[in-house]
Amino acid sequence: MSPYRRARPAESNFEDLLRPQVEYLYRLAWRFTGSVADAEDLVQDVLTKLFPRTQELLEIERLRPWLARVLYNQYVDSVRQRSRSPIVELVAGVEGEENPLDALPTAKDGPEANAERTGQRERILRALDRLNPEQRAVVAMHDVEGYSLEELETMLETPLGTLKSRLHRARQRLRALLPMEPFSVGERVKG
Amino acid sequence: MDCSEFAQRLDDLLDGRLHALGRKAIEEHLARCPDCRRRQEHAVALMESLRRLAPPALHPGFIDQALWRATRPAAGASRSKWRPVLGMALAASLVLGVALGVFLATRPDPVQAVVLTIDRPETVRLMFNSAKPLKAATLSLALPENVELVGYGGRRGLSWQTDLREGGNLMQLPLVVRGATKEDLVASLSHGGSSKTFRLKIEIDNAGRSGM
Repeated sequence: MSPYRRARPAESNFEDLLRPQVEYLYRLAWRFTGSVADAEDLVQDVLTKLFPRTQELLEIERLRPWLARVLYNQYVDSVRQRSRSPIVELVAGVEGEENPLDALPTAKDGPEANAERTGQRERILRALDRLNPEQRAVVAMHDVEGYSLEELETMLETPLGTLKSRLHRARQRLRALLPMEPFSVGERVKG
Repeated sequence: MDCSEFAQRLDDLLDGRLHALGRKAIEEHLARCPDCRRRQEHAVALMESLRRLAPPALHPGFIDQALWRATRPAAGASRSKWRPVLGMALAASLVLGVALGVFLATRPDPVQAVVLTIDRPETVRLMFNSAKPLKAATLSLALPENVELVGYGGRRGLSWQTDLREGGNLMQLPLVVRGATKEDLVASLSHGGSSKTFRLKIEIDNAGRSGM
């Protein structure tokens, strides 16, 4: 580690270290949450928590897996916290016709939501929502991001057997939730 | 190998964790069992679909904004409260002490009533969705009798300006209910002479109270 780097303001070191990682963190956070908003929030929470630990970050050799673990822990915590907090989604109550604000859609008919609600993508996201956070995370990190179970054992400090069992249940659940036809190899080749 | 054994080994097969002998046994089973062959194809195709699921692009400026907030403790503290809020709106939001995050969330099963326990502060999260960014929209809250915004006990009405961005905008309200209430909490959003009103029923969790 260069002494010059250590002597710089913490903000500069932090930004140098984390800026190249934010997009990766966001991607992983989105895979955990399935929501842009929640993913951005999760990343922000992680960054905010990590800034006071900039010196510690400077010592970490493989930052990305370390960050993935911090993100995972934050994700699991936030899901638990959220489950204790009531959530209300307001559906537009229209006042008057030809109201320009009627362009304010509910979550169900926003353009992005609409796109996501249609087709396979939406079905997969809905199925992923049915997994518990630990299962969802292992699917995201192993099946999608490609971390091996042995890597995850170290990263998440979780026994290999537990990870295998989570993965097995998660995959079983997803296969049960998502009918076979649209995912069969034959179907995709035809399409 | 029978089908139940195959089901137990499917994960190892998918993950390439089988030694040569195990793989051979599976291949032999697959050669004579069309059902398991379909299961395997389904499993492989599903994993491929998961990998192809790409996140939407980050909002422009998110990285700069997130790093800035993280490295400025004061900004960080208000970060989860108010996101793209400018000028006076920011000042107003901090004074109010409520929280507006900005989200493009899709949440199933919207609920329009919350159950709160008397004298127990709880955060109620309201989601506004906007088809396009709105500058200087006015958000107003009318609290029903016996419902307080934590820290603003005496106030029944609050109003402030904020910017909404496209998609979901989450407002977090730390509420405490002091007694039975028959009215709804009313949140109004107005912009450019037009307005939209949202109503939220607040119900009392009597069981929660007796359990305290």
